[in-house]
Amino acid sequence: MMYQFKYADDKISDNELMITIPSITIGVGVLSLPSLIAEDTIGSDGWIPIISAGVFFVALAWLIVKVASMYPNQPFISFASVLLSKPIATVLTILLALQGFFITAFVLRIIADLAKEYLFDRTPVEVISLCFLLVVSYAVSGSRVGLFRLNMMFFPIIIFIIVFVGIFSINWYDASNFLPVFQTDFRGYLNASRNSLFSLTGLFVLFFYTSLVRKPDKAPKKAVYGMTMVSIFYIFIYFMCIGVFGYAGTANVNYPIVEIAKEVEIPGGVFERFDSIFFVIWIMAVFNTVTMAFDSSLYALKSVFNLKKIHYILFLTPVLFFVAMIPKDVIDVREFGDFVSLYGLVITTLTAIVLFTIASVKKKVSSEANTSKRRNSKS
Amino acid sequence: MGRRVIKRNNQNAQTDDNNFNTYLTSSLKENLDSIQKMLGNPVDLVIRNFYFAKHACAIIYIDGLSNKQQIEENVLRELERLEQSDQTAELNTSNLLAIIHEQLISISSIKNVDTMDKLSLGLLSGSSVLLLDGVERVLLLETKEWESRAIQEPVSEALIRGPREGFVENLNTNIVLIRRQIRDPNLHFKEYDIGRRSKKKLVLAYISGIIHPELLKEVKKRLSSIDTDDAMESGYIEQWIEDSFLSPFPQIFNSERPDKAASALIKGKFIILLDGTPFVLIAPTEIGGAFKSPEDYYERWLISSLIRVLRYLAAFITMFLPALYIALVSYHQGMIPSQLAFSIASTREGVPFPAFVEAVLMGVTMELLREAGARLPKTIGQTIGIVGGLVIGEAAVSAGVVSPIMVIVVALTAVASFTIPMYSVAISFRMVRFGFMAAAAFLGLYGIILAYIMVNIHIVNLKSFGVPYSTPYAPTFISDWKDLVLRMPAPMLGRRPEYLQTKDKISAKKRRSK
Repeated sequence: MMYQFKYADDKISDNELMITIPSITIGVGVLSLPSLIAEDTIGSDGWIPIISAGVFFVALAWLIVKVASMYPNQPFISFASVLLSKPIATVLTILLALQGFFITAFVLRIIADLAKEYLFDRTPVEVISLCFLLVVSYAVSGSRVGLFRLNMMFFPIIIFIIVFVGIFSINWYDASNFLPVFQTDFRGYLNASRNSLFSLTGLFVLFFYTSLVRKPDKAPKKAVYGMTMVSIFYIFIYFMCIGVFGYAGTANVNYPIVEIAKEVEIPGGVFERFDSIFFVIWIMAVFNTVTMAFDSSLYALKSVFNLKKIHYILFLTPVLFFVAMIPKDVIDVREFGDFVSLYGLVITTLTAIVLFTIASVKKKVSSEANTSKRRNSKS
Repeated sequence: MGRRVIKRNNQNAQTDDNNFNTYLTSSLKENLDSIQKMLGNPVDLVIRNFYFAKHACAIIYIDGLSNKQQIEENVLRELERLEQSDQTAELNTSNLLAIIHEQLISISSIKNVDTMDKLSLGLLSGSSVLLLDGVERVLLLETKEWESRAIQEPVSEALIRGPREGFVENLNTNIVLIRRQIRDPNLHFKEYDIGRRSKKKLVLAYISGIIHPELLKEVKKRLSSIDTDDAMESGYIEQWIEDSFLSPFPQIFNSERPDKAASALIKGKFIILLDGTPFVLIAPTEIGGAFKSPEDYYERWLISSLIRVLRYLAAFITMFLPALYIALVSYHQGMIPSQLAFSIASTREGVPFPAFVEAVLMGVTMELLREAGARLPKTIGQTIGIVGGLVIGEAAVSAGVVSPIMVIVVALTAVASFTIPMYSVAISFRMVRFGFMAAAAFLGLYGIILAYIMVNIHIVNLKSFGVPYSTPYAPTFISDWKDLVLRMPAPMLGRRPEYLQTKDKISAKKRRSK
């Protein structure tokens, strides 16, 4: 066994956990988010539902990491067993693993559809998504810390490309697009919030990855930072789209941010159709989402059934491919997406709240028991 | 008294021919006979028989490996002087060797050995051997001297500014060159004998107050695992001890420059020197190190930073330019500005091949020219450049085999790849380039980005002596970024690389003047 340096072992730093959150959440959802929100809101009111969804998720992220870091260095299944009993913990683990599986399959399909739209029209969807899946399988069959390092390496590039698009589309901004304000009715806010919630799912990975953090006591704070970063990022993108297209225009295009990229003109005209470049870079963001989802799903399954990781990958890769190919058309894909998001939202929130409640009750009981014991011993 | 065989393990010993692990005898004649038999009566073995205080003696050495003048003046003449002095009065066979050992001051190093094995190693390394009749031990006298190349400017790593001296084939000279850079008593040299038959000296150098102890333990373990007949060159050692032999990227860098080796030592790395080669190995390494040249630290920081950015751009061009050309021409014509698209289309009119074949054709031609230029003597090498670059390029275009744009792409790629200071990394980049080209031919830009992601996956999983190859990008050490793409002003580089986890973390501190 080769010696490895401190940072090269199976642990991750708290900053790596922080970057995990944008890596898993920022993916395909954000591309269509501004248009979905603009459908239900007027003017630039969309930031209210995004912020409310953001606040909800920041709280959720804190909750998950808090409960997981109460049991430092313990994998999900072991502390869930302590809190809920072994069979329920096993079922929960499998349900969470399923979410990772669904996210992977869904994103696989979306990326193929997108590539068809923005890169090539003749290559079949199957080939595009199979190639992507194979690269993802290669990634997850490597070391787990390697995936976190990939997140760290790709994240700045993704931020850079969005900021780049934002800066070079500055000619198209129209301040009047942001008006009117506060005209949306309550129903609109509600619908928009639902859509924002859907595009922010993915926090379930924190259940598993928190146990890998070297300093668990710092983790909840970093999780809050990570999720806040995502919310700010989403609002930035939303305002960019509204600024360029107005709310009516934004609602009419499927992927407004890619459309903005299409309008970007690099001084000197080195490249035309910048949307292709943007989309190609965006594949890295999507790749991070998929590897995180797939890997956490593998992690969960491995904690339940003790098989080798490579066996899971060999078995799951074809299954994922077939599941991704099931939806026939755009409507099917959208329904699939809604199902994945709803499933994820419900399972993650419920698990987090239940675990946190039980954990805090237990802690209180034990601390009371301790204090009473101390009192007894004193007297 | 016959030969005593100290070790005769039949499983381990290959044949009797190869087993010299025997003790010497007390008879001078018998010893000389067995030495001659062992070496196969070589023509360059010199045997000088003489009598010293009425004892039969012999001094033997290999002609060309030992300094004849030194043997004459410092050994034979000294022995003569010793014999004439009174001290030899109470001499007998039992203390004779010890007296000579003490009195022969003019020889710097004397070893007293008793096995054939050690005798032959010493003899073949250039020592002369003093044998005495009636004594079962011999003296190895350090009289090494052989022809070696003078210190010259390193050929493979030329700099505009910086020391002009490079390592040579002589190990001792190389150690001296490093000692002259660092006068720290903590600079340690640990010696290994590598090669069952070549018995070459290998030296591991490190600064013990800086290097991470576990790293040192690991490299020592790996060095002692080498079991081979011959260690041909340091590149061969590299392949024995590297982490992953499947990777296209070198996990151990090499250098001909003492200043580069010394700065690596100061940073907390270790270096490996092998006798007979001017190339020393430097490890652990990381991908960012491939873009660093010693010159970066000698020039002012602004210049160095810009040059480093240029090198990163060059790496990008080396790996991606042909692939981008293929992807744009065959899949995404819409992305090329329309004016340029028309001109490319018109020049590609007569070209019979798809862009991928065109690119591979020219890529291989370029590699051929490079290889031919490297093999030939310098004067003819220039001819190859003219023939290749001008004649083939021009003729290929006018014959309609490739388009002029393709020639530009290939030329740019070649020029860019030579700007990367680590030659072995530049080769890796050029190798990976063909993979990118294939991916681009298959799936256009999408293929390129997938291939790029795959390279990244490989790099984050790769390690060099346990240090991640992708550091300090990830695992992220922001303080190490001061000397990565940019090279910050020298007073700001006060800390050793954090990713090496050195014992002593501070390397420089700006003092306030009083």
